[in-house]
Amino acid sequence: MAQEGQASTTDLEERLAAKAREVRVLQQVSSEINSTLDLDEIFDVVLRTMDELFGFHHSMILLLDATGETLSVAASRGYGSQADGATVAVGTGLVGVVAKKRQMMRLGNLGRQRAYVSTIRQQMEQAGRASELSESPALPGLPDVEGQIAIPLQIKDTLIGVFFVESVEQRVFSERDEALITVVANQAASAIHNARLYRAEAERSSELAEAHERLKQLNETLEDRVRERTLELHRANRELRETQAQLLQSAKMAALGDLAAGVAHEINSPLGSIHSNADLTKRVAAVVREALTDETAASVVSRYPRLEQALQSLEQATATTLVASDRIVRIVKSLRNFARLDEAERKKADLHEGIESTLTLLQHRLKRGIEVIRDFGELPQLVCSPNRMNQVFMNLLVNAIQAMDEHGTITIRTRLDGDQVVLQFADTGHGIPRENLERIFDPGFTTRGPGVGTGLGLPITFRIVEEHRGSIEASSEVGKGSEFTIRLPIGE
Amino acid sequence: METTQLPDEIKPVMENGVPAEVSSCSADGIPNTTIISQVYYVDREHVALSFQFFNKTVRNVRENPNASVLLNDPYGYACWILQVRYDHSETEGPIFDQMDMQIEAIASATGMTGIFKLKAADIYRVDSVRKVTLKRPSTDRS
Repeated sequence: MAQEGQASTTDLEERLAAKAREVRVLQQVSSEINSTLDLDEIFDVVLRTMDELFGFHHSMILLLDATGETLSVAASRGYGSQADGATVAVGTGLVGVVAKKRQMMRLGNLGRQRAYVSTIRQQMEQAGRASELSESPALPGLPDVEGQIAIPLQIKDTLIGVFFVESVEQRVFSERDEALITVVANQAASAIHNARLYRAEAERSSELAEAHERLKQLNETLEDRVRERTLELHRANRELRETQAQLLQSAKMAALGDLAAGVAHEINSPLGSIHSNADLTKRVAAVVREALTDETAASVVSRYPRLEQALQSLEQATATTLVASDRIVRIVKSLRNFARLDEAERKKADLHEGIESTLTLLQHRLKRGIEVIRDFGELPQLVCSPNRMNQVFMNLLVNAIQAMDEHGTITIRTRLDGDQVVLQFADTGHGIPRENLERIFDPGFTTRGPGVGTGLGLPITFRIVEEHRGSIEASSEVGKGSEFTIRLPIGE
Repeated sequence: METTQLPDEIKPVMENGVPAEVSSCSADGIPNTTIISQVYYVDREHVALSFQFFNKTVRNVRENPNASVLLNDPYGYACWILQVRYDHSETEGPIFDQMDMQIEAIASATGMTGIFKLKAADIYRVDSVRKVTLKRPSTDRS
C-alpha cells in the first residue's frame, strides 16, 4: 500500500512538473507572439513553436479571403513549396469544414480511413454506381497523413482563418495536444487580428500622410497655378481682342473694297470719256496748230492775236486734263489693287506692287513734307494673302507718317536673304522709348491719347506676319527714328 | 472483465480505430455483421453509431435492439468488444453535429459528398465492455 501511495505521489509530481513546463512554454509562446505586429513574424513564431517545442513538424495557417468562400495558405512549415499559394474552398476537407462549422476538429487513423473509402468506391464501381462518385479535390497537405487537427482562428464571432496541423504518425493528437494547440491558435488569432488592425491603421496613416502631402503641395503650387491661370486668361483676353480687331479691320477692308470697286466702276466710264475727249482735243489742237502755220492762215491769225492765246490755253488745259485723268486712272487702279477683293485669299503676289498701291493711297499725306526712298531689291513673287499684307504696309506707313509729324524721310528697303524675303520700313520720326519698345506688339498698348490710336495696329501687323510664318522686329532710337524689319519665308 | 462503464483508454481507440465491426440480429434470428466508419464516444455509458445507409443493421436494431461492436486497436494489439442496446436516434444536437461534421470532412476530401451522409446518430447504451489483448508478434527471429 505504501509503495502504491509513493508511486501515485511520484506520478502526480511528474504530471504537475509536466503541466508546469507546458504553462511556461505557453507563456513564452504567448509573449513571443504578442511581441510583434508583423504578420510574417507571427506566422513564423506560431509554426516554429509547433515544430520545435511541441514536435508537430507539419502545420499551416490559412486565412479567409474577402469573399468568405476561400481560404489561402498564408504560411506553412514542413511542406516545402507545396503549400505556397494553395487554396481551400470553405466546406471542403477538414480545413474547409472547420471553417464552415467554426468548430475545432481532429481526425485520426486516416490511412485506414482512405482504405475504407477506397473499398467503398470499388464496391460502388462494381455495382455500376461510378457516376455518383467524384474526383477527390486537390487539398494542401501530406499525402500519407494519419492525423489532422484543425482549429478555427476567430475573433469573437468572426472567422479569420484556420490553423491546421498534420502528422504521418498514428494516434498523434491527444486531447492534451488539442488543448495546447488550441491555446496557441487562440493566441495566434488575436495576434493576427492585431497585426492586421495595425497594418490597416498604418496604411490609413500612410494614406492620410500622402493626402496631407498632396494637399501641402497643392497649397504650395496654388499661387503659381493662380498666376499661370491669370496669365492664360490675359492671353486669351488678348487673343480675343486681337481677333475682334481683326474682324473689325476685315470688315472695314471689305467695306473699303466694296466702295473702291463701286467708285472705280462708276468713275471708269466718265473717266474714259474725259480721257478720250481730252486726247481728241489735244489732237484737234495739234491739227489747228499745224493749220495755223500756213501763210494764209498766219495772216489771218495775225489779225486775231487772241486766237493764239486761246489755242495755247486749249493746249495747256488739254495737257492738264490728260495728266489729271491719268492720275485718276492710277488712283482707281490702286484702290482696286489695295482692296484685292476680287482675288483668292492666298496667291502669288508682287509685294512691291502692294507697297506702291499703299503709298499711292497715302499720297495726300506724304506729299506735304515726307520723302519716300525706295531701295527695292529683286524679289520673287510670294504666296501670301495680298490684302492682308497690304494691311501690314498700311499700318507701318501710317505709323511712320504719324511718328514724323508728316515731315521727314521714309526708307523702304526690300531684299532677298537666303530663303527669306526681308522688308524694312525706316522713318526719321520721334522714335520709341526703350521701355515701350517691348510692348508695342501688345494689344491695346498705345502712347497716343484716347481716340487717336486704338493700340491694335501693330498687334494686328504682328498677327498677320505670324500667319505668314514670318517674324517682325522693331528697333528704335528716341529722336532718330524707328525701323521695322519683316522676314517672310518664300517656302511655298 | 465486464463493466457497463466505458474506460478512458477506449476513447482514442474509438477516434482512431475505424472501421469497426457491428453485429446485429433480426427478430427472426438472422445475424448480420458489417463494418461501420464511426463509433462515437457519447459518455461513459453510451456510444453513437453513424446511420448513413438504410441497411440491415438499422433494420435489425429497430426489431431487436441488442448488438455488439468490435473495436480494433492495432496500436495497442487489442480489440474491444462492446455489448450494446439500441436506445434512440438523434437527427440534431451536439452529438449529431459532431458526427456529421467528421463525415462531411472526410466525404468532401475524398469525392464522396452525397454518398457519406449522416442520416441519424443512433445512440446505444453500453451493457458491457471487454478488452481482448492480443499477443504481440515476437521480434526474436533466432
